[in-house]
Amino acid sequence: MHFLAVGFLSAVTVDKPTGVLGALATGAEDFIKVFNKGGSVLLSLMGGILPTLVVLLTAVNALVRIIGPERIENLGKAAARPGLQWYPVRYIVLPFVSVFVLTNPMAYTMGRFLPERFKPAFYDSAVSFVHPILGIFPHANPGELFVYVGIATGIQQLGLGLGDLAVRYLLVGLVVIFIRGIVTERITARMMTKSEKGE
Amino acid sequence: MGFSSTVTKVGRSVGGVVGILYQAGRDTVDTVIRNVIPFMAFISFIIGLILTTGIGDWIAKGIKGSASSLPGLLLISVVCAIPLLSPLLGPGAVIAQIVGTLLGVEIGKGNIPAQYSLPALFAINPQVGCDFIPVGLALGEAEPATVEIGVPAVLFSRMVTGPLAVVIAYVASFGLYTSAK
Repeated sequence: MHFLAVGFLSAVTVDKPTGVLGALATGAEDFIKVFNKGGSVLLSLMGGILPTLVVLLTAVNALVRIIGPERIENLGKAAARPGLQWYPVRYIVLPFVSVFVLTNPMAYTMGRFLPERFKPAFYDSAVSFVHPILGIFPHANPGELFVYVGIATGIQQLGLGLGDLAVRYLLVGLVVIFIRGIVTERITARMMTKSEKGE
Repeated sequence: MGFSSTVTKVGRSVGGVVGILYQAGRDTVDTVIRNVIPFMAFISFIIGLILTTGIGDWIAKGIKGSASSLPGLLLISVVCAIPLLSPLLGPGAVIAQIVGTLLGVEIGKGNIPAQYSLPALFAINPQVGCDFIPVGLALGEAEPATVEIGVPAVLFSRMVTGPLAVVIAYVASFGLYTSAK
């Protein structure tokens, strides 16, 4: 179909088409150009990141199965403790481990080990990490890969390495989820006392 | 005991490992076919459209100003974090993925400096998960009273932490791809 169209159109353009038919021919050429370009982009994606992704996903999926999701439950219990020193556990370590092992969306089930007042903050923290982790561990959220890959493709086109961006994205992500956890916890606490007073 | 039980043990554990690897491969192919490749097809079409038609230049003009400066990125993040908009922008991260791809095309063409890729990743995404708060909290076995407070708490928190994340990412992007300029 595609070859036919190109062959047919190139035969037409030999003597510079004019008039209505000429306009149609030019239109048809422009039309198929969009999909030719899209097709070559698709091929470069499938040949570029897809094979690596499949192998990486397989390895990490196997690792997660060997570790077993039930082992991280103790971490959830530790994160529920009050006190300043448990903040990083609750809003950095626990979201990271849950998103890595349980992936999106099952990671949020780890909230069940926390008291009610920490649950919104933990959700906020965990859900904010499902994209920053993608640069290095795409298995955590393969359905939303293009938040990262979309921008990363541009960097690749410039001939630059992705390692630097992926690592910084992950590290900044950890800082951001920590701040988000604390801020949301404070807001939740304030709103809870307000609603208790109102009753 | 003895030889035959050892054989059984080895056979079983090897079988177990192979089974795990095989199942992991099956899960992977499942996800790739159901989630990754459809999105690649869709994104390829959009990129094809952007690169071959004039839409690309039009978008470039609009995006270039806002995505290649800190105030512009902050503006994007503030808009995406508005509590009424963020749940609408959230589902499936589709908006973030499309905008990310558009920005990627512009970065590839050199219209947006490469070091802005890091703050841009946060600027396009302050709405992450805002559509999913009740479900996410329910997965964490939260009580209805918690959900009632948790939804606005997360949405309001994003108003602060969304732009803040852009600033942090901007600071962290110093030294990223600068030698390439």
